[in-house]
Amino acid sequence: MDIELSEEDLAFREDVRGFFADNAHPAGSDYNEWRNGWFKKAAENGGWDVPKWPVEFGGPGWTPTQHYIWEQETALATLPWDMPFGIGMLAPILMGYGSKEQQERFLPDIRARKVNWCQGYSEPGAGSDLAALKTKAELSKDGTYYTVNGTKIWTTMAHIADWIFCLTRTDSSGRKQEGITFLLIPMKEDGIEVKPIITLGGAHSVNTVFLTDVKVPVENRIGEEGKGWTYAKGLLQHERTGLAGISRSIVALETLKAQAASVQRGNRTLMDDPGFRAKVAELEIDLMASEFTELRSLASAAAGSAPGPESSILKLKGTEIQQRIQKLTVEAGGIYSAAWGTRPVGHEFAKGAMGGYLASRGFTIYGGASEVQKDVIAKNVLGIKRSSR
Amino acid sequence: MNFETTQEQRLLQDSVTRFVRDNYDLDSRMKLVATKPGFSAEHWQTMADLGWLALPFTEADDGFGGGQIETMLIMEQFGKGLVLEPYLASIVMGGGALRRGASAALRAEILPGVIDGSRQLAFAYAEEQARFDLHDVTTRARAEDSDYILNGHKSMVLNAATASQVVVSTRTSGGQIDEDGISLFLVDADAKGVKLDNFPTVDGLQASEISFTNVKVPKTRLLGELDHGFTVLNAVANDAILALAAEALGAMEVLNQDTVAYTQQRQQFDHPLADFQVLQHRMVEMFMEYEQCKSLLFRATMEIEAGSDTAQRTVHALKHLIGKAGIFIGENAVQLHGGMGMTEELRVGHYFKRLLVIDTQFGNADYHLQRFAA
Repeated sequence: MDIELSEEDLAFREDVRGFFADNAHPAGSDYNEWRNGWFKKAAENGGWDVPKWPVEFGGPGWTPTQHYIWEQETALATLPWDMPFGIGMLAPILMGYGSKEQQERFLPDIRARKVNWCQGYSEPGAGSDLAALKTKAELSKDGTYYTVNGTKIWTTMAHIADWIFCLTRTDSSGRKQEGITFLLIPMKEDGIEVKPIITLGGAHSVNTVFLTDVKVPVENRIGEEGKGWTYAKGLLQHERTGLAGISRSIVALETLKAQAASVQRGNRTLMDDPGFRAKVAELEIDLMASEFTELRSLASAAAGSAPGPESSILKLKGTEIQQRIQKLTVEAGGIYSAAWGTRPVGHEFAKGAMGGYLASRGFTIYGGASEVQKDVIAKNVLGIKRSSR
Repeated sequence: MNFETTQEQRLLQDSVTRFVRDNYDLDSRMKLVATKPGFSAEHWQTMADLGWLALPFTEADDGFGGGQIETMLIMEQFGKGLVLEPYLASIVMGGGALRRGASAALRAEILPGVIDGSRQLAFAYAEEQARFDLHDVTTRARAEDSDYILNGHKSMVLNAATASQVVVSTRTSGGQIDEDGISLFLVDADAKGVKLDNFPTVDGLQASEISFTNVKVPKTRLLGELDHGFTVLNAVANDAILALAAEALGAMEVLNQDTVAYTQQRQQFDHPLADFQVLQHRMVEMFMEYEQCKSLLFRATMEIEAGSDTAQRTVHALKHLIGKAGIFIGENAVQLHGGMGMTEELRVGHYFKRLLVIDTQFGNADYHLQRFAA
């Protein structure tokens, strides 16, 4: 065990910092042009545009420490916007279970950020209990296409997506985890309708997607019919660790401290307030521990073992920490956090505080509610067997 | 010691309950939020006709001589519907300052319009550097002939855009954080040098930043004694805290009821959510917090009404608990509603927002904990 970064790691960190500095968005220049250029240059660096992809698919093959350094540095820099659904969620499934043709057909456009994907998993009746999904896919008599009917909900970015990867039901005779089929569907297909859902922060990012008699050719099916749940399960694990956001929270906590130090209280600032200070300190301690929990998780993944028990708590801890930071930002904003709108009233930072806090309440719901995560840990990690339920 | 309400109080409670039930389903409320004043002038008139606007004023001022208990009963029901009409700003706060501090002549000039619904008030006390301290006042008023000249800035003034007059806390002597040297004035909202910057708040209400530049206010518009306005200011703040706490209690009750109902109806894993013990216990905790808030609300309201020595400390305790419990209940109501709780479509999110805003008003949970412990 050794906490020091090696010479190589320090050099890597300098490379990363240099790359971010050299390729920062020049003020006033065209955003999309810069964005495309950024990913291109990152690719030329040897897979920096797809850090988590395996080497055989073009990834950089970093060590856990390098991944950790990358996470830290990306939290500090401003990168071009990116959606996780293609790069982080569908790609690993295509690599693991897709045919050679499917890999060649979809991966290059995902990598080039040419095609936006969204995830069609949750349904009105299937949230935490995802396997209860009912969207029906019926194979045509000649076996060439499926006809899909059903409703997907909480579909993030469906309104700008080109494609949706969907869990559908092809058989309801057995266990609910069986008979689920993984299909790839173009969003502009006839019979697809997207309805926005406005969430508490006032934002529109999630949607309801209605599928009515949508025809999907069989070559858009991943793997075997009825095996979709197995493919999706691994992906859910991926989504969960991605949601912890520890590096980002470390940066956010520093921002919070600076904001609180800008808030006057008599002749001192809010950071001098013992009650507020104590809450910030508690957060910092939790983050120090979580940072190393994440490192331990990365290390065991690199050693080739299955994600260890430590990784199971990352989403729980990480999302809770994000919520606490948002809540303290609201507290720091004081009376001004109650203002709603696009322009600041009072403290500049208070403008988005309440919206950020409200949006953060979804972090313990989306991607598997915390209560369900705890059930999974009780069963799989603690090995608790229940006589019922 | 007696927790029974009188026959008259029960009639009042029933009538407010009916009003909220008939007028404040979520759709109707959201329609009002989107309109120009952000509430219904018609509802306001109804409240005047039913005598609710006259309630806290003395019979000499043509009011009904009601006390803290009546206000509590009204505000609790208002909390169940997230009522938008400015009862708190105009009657509890603005009216509270007038009935405590205004001369008989000024009361006779202003209160009839307040009571018949034709005139609204606002109460401007907050300043940026003060955070939650009422006594930290930099808005200045200096005497000049028969007037005072006001200069300064007030923040987050509820209902200022529709108010005819605004009660303003100013510094007339002493240092920035002295309780002595604060004076209250009743300022016409359309007076020269008064500038409003209006905006909506998170909970769908309306507030303003107000700047005062050489605003002339006649000396007759002083509320309370010169330099000793803090007594009135603090009493109004306590009234406002009691009213907000009662409103919060009503909102918490709705959140708890909705959550218990939803978890019994929503099926996951072949069971209603409410079958899961972890969720049952969470809802019991929410209920316990609600009941504790109710107890402390009764305690604080009765102590203030009785003029008890410990009343101020109990008000600090109340605002602390209301803030903490309100957010606990709101967060968990959303959590137990899952994705649906995160939408504008269900009412839980709206009640949660109101509880969040209440915690920012007149000192948050942390602030009052410190005041209580001091």
